[in-house]
Amino acid sequence: MSELEQALVALGRELVVPETPDLAPRVLAALERPARPSRIRLVVVFAAVLVAVLLAALAIPDARSALARFFHIGAARIEVVDELPAVEPQPPELDLELALGDRVSLAEARQRAGYDLLELEEEPDRVYLGPRNSVWFLYGQPDAVRLLVAQTPRLSVDEDFIFKKLAAAGTTVEQVSVRGKPAYFLSGEPHEVFLVDEYDLPVLETLRLARNTLLWEEDGRTLRLEGDFSRDEAVELAESLR
Amino acid sequence: MLAERARRGDEHAYGELVRAYQGIAYRTAYLLTGSAADAEEATQTGFVKAWKALPRFRAGAEFRPWLLRIVANEAHNRRRSAKRREALGLRAAAEVASGDAVPSPEAQALREEQRHELLAAVNRLDERDRDVLACRYFLELGEEETAQVLGVRRGTVKSRTARALDRLRGELER
Repeated sequence: MSELEQALVALGRELVVPETPDLAPRVLAALERPARPSRIRLVVVFAAVLVAVLLAALAIPDARSALARFFHIGAARIEVVDELPAVEPQPPELDLELALGDRVSLAEARQRAGYDLLELEEEPDRVYLGPRNSVWFLYGQPDAVRLLVAQTPRLSVDEDFIFKKLAAAGTTVEQVSVRGKPAYFLSGEPHEVFLVDEYDLPVLETLRLARNTLLWEEDGRTLRLEGDFSRDEAVELAESLR
Repeated sequence: MLAERARRGDEHAYGELVRAYQGIAYRTAYLLTGSAADAEEATQTGFVKAWKALPRFRAGAEFRPWLLRIVANEAHNRRRSAKRREALGLRAAAEVASGDAVPSPEAQALREEQRHELLAAVNRLDERDRDVLACRYFLELGEEETAQVLGVRRGTVKSRTARALDRLRGELER
C-alpha cells in the first residue's frame, strides 16, 4: 500500500460520521410479509397513468397531429414535431438532467457506462448518464426532442406481465422482434414503466416522451426507444444500433 | 444463520441482522452522500428493500456486500435527487484517539494541515472517484467487496482506484 493509500485509510478513521441511529424498530415496523419467490427473476410492469405533469415539465408535446416532416437517423425515418403546444417555461437543461441524469460527452458515456454502448450511426445531440449506469442518447433539442434511446444494464423483461397489465391499461402492445430477440412496441395511452431491478425490487421509470416506445433486452441490458415512430420504423431503428 | 432464518420470513432474525449491520450500512451511506439525513433514509430504505428481496438472496452468499449494494444504490439515488454531494468533514484533532506518544505541537500542527489538505482534495474529486476511494480506504473494503457494492467488475475497481489516486495526487499538487 502506497503512502497516499495509507494516509487515506488513516483519514477515513478520522472522518466525522454521525452516530448510527438504531434503525431496527423503524425497519421492522415497515416490513411487509416476504414476497413469494418470483418464478421469473426480473419483471417489468407497465401501468397506464397520467403524465401531464411530466409532459409539462419536459416541455414535450403530445401532439401527433403536429407532425410535419421526417428526418433520418441511421437507416430509419423518424417523424419530427414542428409545432409545440404552449407550456410553462422551464429551464430545459435542468429538467432533462432531473429526468435523465447528468449531461456528459459521448466519449465520457462510453468510458463511464461500464458496458459497451449500442449506438446509432448518427451521433446523438446530447448524452446523459443516469442512475444505475443508464445512458440516454437524445436527438433533437431539450425543448423539441425527436428521439430518445436509453439503455440500462441488469434489467430485463417479463412478457407475461406486459400483456396482462397493458391490455387492461389501454396501451396497445405488439410483440415484435429485434435481431431475433423478443421486443415490445407500446403505443396508445401514455404509460409509466415500473422496472424491477436485480433484487426484484420495483423501480419507477417514466417513459420520458409519452410517445411510442420500443422495449427489448439485448446483451444484459434493457434498451428502449421513445419517439413518434411507427412499429416498423422503430424496429428498423433498433436493428441499426451497433 | 440469521440471514437464512430471515430469508424464511423470521422477522426477529431480521431485526438482529439490522442491528448487526446498521453501523456499516449507515457509514457506507454517509460516506457516499455526506448527509446524515440522506444516510439515515438510505439505510432504512435499504434494509426494507433488502427484506423484500431476501427470497432471492442466494443461500450461502455473503450478506454484507449484498446489503451494502442495496444501501449504496439508495444513497446514490438520494445524492442524485439532491443534485449535490456534501463535503466530508474531519473530527477535531482532540477527538482523534491515538495510542502513540503525544506529538510535539509543531508536528501536530503539520499533521493537522496535511490531513485537512488531503480531505479537501478528496472532496474536490468527482463522485465516481470519491466513491471508489471511500469504499477502498474509508470503509476499508477489499476489491471484490467494493466491486459488489458499486455494482462493477473487480477489474473496473482496480482501474478506477488507480485513476482516482492519480487524480488525487494531481489535486494535492495544485
